[in-house]
Amino acid sequence: MIQLRGVSKTFDGGTSYAVKDLSFQVEAGETVVLLGSSGCGKTTTLKMINRLVEPTHGHIEVGGEDVMNQDPALLRRRIGYVFQGIGLFPHMTIEQNVGLVPRLLGWSARKRGERVRELLRLVGLAPEDYADRFSEALSGGQQQRVGVARALAADPAYLLMDEPFGALDALTREALQQELLGLKKKLEKTIIFVTHDIFEALLLGDRIVILHQGNVQQIGTKKEILSAPATPFVRDLFGKPAKQLADFKDILK
Amino acid sequence: MSAEPWITFVSDHLSELWIRTGEHLILTGFSTISALLIGVPLGILIFRNSWLRGPALGGVGILQTIPSLAMLVFLLALLQKIGVLPAVIALTLYALLPIVRNTFTGLTGVSPQVMEAAKGIGMTEGQQLRMVRLPLATPVIVAGIRTAAVVSVGIATLSAFIGAGGLGQFINRGLALYNTRLILLGAVPAAMLALLVDFAIGSFEWGLRPVRKQDKPGSARAIIRPVALMMPLLLIVIGLFAYFTQPSLGTRPASVSNGGTVTVATKNFTEQLILGELMAQVLEAKTDLNVIRRFNLGGSMICHGALMNGEIDLYAEYTGTGLTAILKAPVIADPEKAFYYVKAAYRKQYDAEWLRPFGFNNTYAITVRTQDAKQYGWHTISDLKEAAPGLKAGFTAEFAERPDGYPGLSKAYGFEFGGIRDLDPSLMYEAVSKGEVDVICAFATDGRIAAYRLTPLKDDLQFFPPYHAAPVVREAVLAEHPEVEQALSLLEGILDDQTMQQLNFEVDAKKRDAGRVASEFLKKKGVI
Ligand SMILES: Nc1ncnc2c1ncn2[C@@H]1O[C@H](COP(=O)(O)OP(=O)(O)OP(=O)(O)O)[C@@H](O)[C@H]1O
Ligand SMILES: [Mg+2]
Repeated sequence: MIQLRGVSKTFDGGTSYAVKDLSFQVEAGETVVLLGSSGCGKTTTLKMINRLVEPTHGHIEVGGEDVMNQDPALLRRRIGYVFQGIGLFPHMTIEQNVGLVPRLLGWSARKRGERVRELLRLVGLAPEDYADRFSEALSGGQQQRVGVARALAADPAYLLMDEPFGALDALTREALQQELLGLKKKLEKTIIFVTHDIFEALLLGDRIVILHQGNVQQIGTKKEILSAPATPFVRDLFGKPAKQLADFKDILK
Repeated sequence: MSAEPWITFVSDHLSELWIRTGEHLILTGFSTISALLIGVPLGILIFRNSWLRGPALGGVGILQTIPSLAMLVFLLALLQKIGVLPAVIALTLYALLPIVRNTFTGLTGVSPQVMEAAKGIGMTEGQQLRMVRLPLATPVIVAGIRTAAVVSVGIATLSAFIGAGGLGQFINRGLALYNTRLILLGAVPAAMLALLVDFAIGSFEWGLRPVRKQDKPGSARAIIRPVALMMPLLLIVIGLFAYFTQPSLGTRPASVSNGGTVTVATKNFTEQLILGELMAQVLEAKTDLNVIRRFNLGGSMICHGALMNGEIDLYAEYTGTGLTAILKAPVIADPEKAFYYVKAAYRKQYDAEWLRPFGFNNTYAITVRTQDAKQYGWHTISDLKEAAPGLKAGFTAEFAERPDGYPGLSKAYGFEFGGIRDLDPSLMYEAVSKGEVDVICAFATDGRIAAYRLTPLKDDLQFFPPYHAAPVVREAVLAEHPEVEQALSLLEGILDDQTMQQLNFEVDAKKRDAGRVASEFLKKKGVI
């Protein structure tokens, strides 16, 4: 369970807020999607959960304990994190990148090797081809998939995923979204998933948190949000794609 | 001037070249390694403690601006030792800046995104540094080490000044003897060594790069990789091998105890080398002592320092130098008084003894073309008074400035020359002989006075301090081996100004070996 209570973050001493008075809770096994326009504070929120950024106000609990009372390195090893900027280590092979958190946790080399191969297959990269490569020899989308594999490597109970499928084509993206859904059902993961993409949000999110300029617009299930948008921003957000979809159908006719 | 072909010159010096190259590699190698061991941790330290950054980078920066020779002399005074140790320390200090700076730059330059990922997946501070930051900074750090090593090869040529050996020894000797071949024998291999060191560390850096997919076991790259990594080590091993396979030549630190040995030193110019040979050969002929030669030390202060801490036993010093440079006493014009003053002062302050002088006086000499001297009847400096406003003088920058140089001279004699040109000592003689200037301040015993048909004028007012050369010996050595004083007394008064000029000329102009010139002279005089 991840819980945020009245969390705010300002980088400039209070002139503006990247995140303002944000409260929500992610139940064990639940996926919450953070949806919002660029610069609305999604990444900042994720970073506060694993203590890459310290909140200015408010409290965050992971697993029922305030994160500020937990050892940051140990906390982070329990939370799989897919970075928006991917952040693969350029001096390590793909295998070493994916196996890094298990290595920090002291897994044996054999167990690590097996796990890496399993995960590479899961994200659609053949281990024989990719395990020994360096990230420079991978496409942006392939790197992103390695980033996802790395976050999953130690089988963490919590996953923070910051636009993990942003650089993928529609087909690969769809495949990985399905994988994630399957994984969720099988493994009871508690996930916070950041995206710009409304369809992705609707597909993956048990609940959706809609942010705009640091403020929460609405928190709810897709049904609640679609049937009763809380603000004009939310209505526009879902109205635009619906209109685009209609236009698209017109073109096909 | 010598007709000896290049090839025989080089082959004559081949075994010494091998040793000097070995010494050079050792000086460079050890100093680079110690700079690495200090510099990389220091770079990490200032990366983590920003308040240390300014002072530390400033400090190692300032170290680099200290002139190499000043640094060597300072370390000599501090350590009370000549030879390899102060040289390695000096080179280490010079090598610090590129290593510290590149370590810091390399660590700072790692992409923040990568570092955030390292932190975000749960690495501790130490793991972030060890597993991510340092490996990613390595190419930049190695580039700093490479710069440091190549610069070290260059600066190491100066260590010969304090008896640390190396290729600089040829350069030093060549400069002392105006012998271009000797200079090249040191300079060309030193340049090649710099290229080799650059290549070796370059390959090392290549070998360190992450193993790519294309260098699977068995591929050419996989085989070359370990070889490339070994290159710098290989150079050091070659250096050690050269150093230890030839124990008998020259500059190994002499044992401080004098159980039957005596160490003779010289400064780094021709006359000193001849005097050194004269003393060494007389000692070899007339005593049972084993004579060690530590020639070509870089100047009076270095010889004096080495004498004080017992690393050398004797060298030839000039009264004027002892008086003004070492004792910092005022000039005494009377040669006898000057000699007894330094003798008494050295006894009291330094436990060292001035033996009887060789005879000649190597002081400044106002010198003109012999033809002019004859034509105008110039014998003394006073004779120049009337002609002076129409004469052009060529002086070294030092002589032109020092109060006991031209300013004092013109005051004492009451005239000034029409024009003054600053000239390098090596150009002065040629300039006056070709008529570009009319008067120079030569050294009285310089061989080129005769070679260029010049005449030194008598210092009739005794303005210049006397510079009579005499052996200066540690008292402990004289007490233990009285035969040293007896043997050296054979050299008393044996050289007048003209004879010294002639011997200098043999070595400087005719490029003859100082040892041979000295032994011929001693035989002719019936001393040995
Ligand atoms: N380290 C920082 N220092 C100062 N301001 C920051 C910092 N990190 C983020 N911000 C600001 O906080 C706001 C929220 O940033 P954040 O990265 O959380 O946005 P986001 O919702 O993830 O946007 P995007 O969809 O473009 O990734 C932005 O206005 C950003 O400029
Ligand atoms: Mg973001």
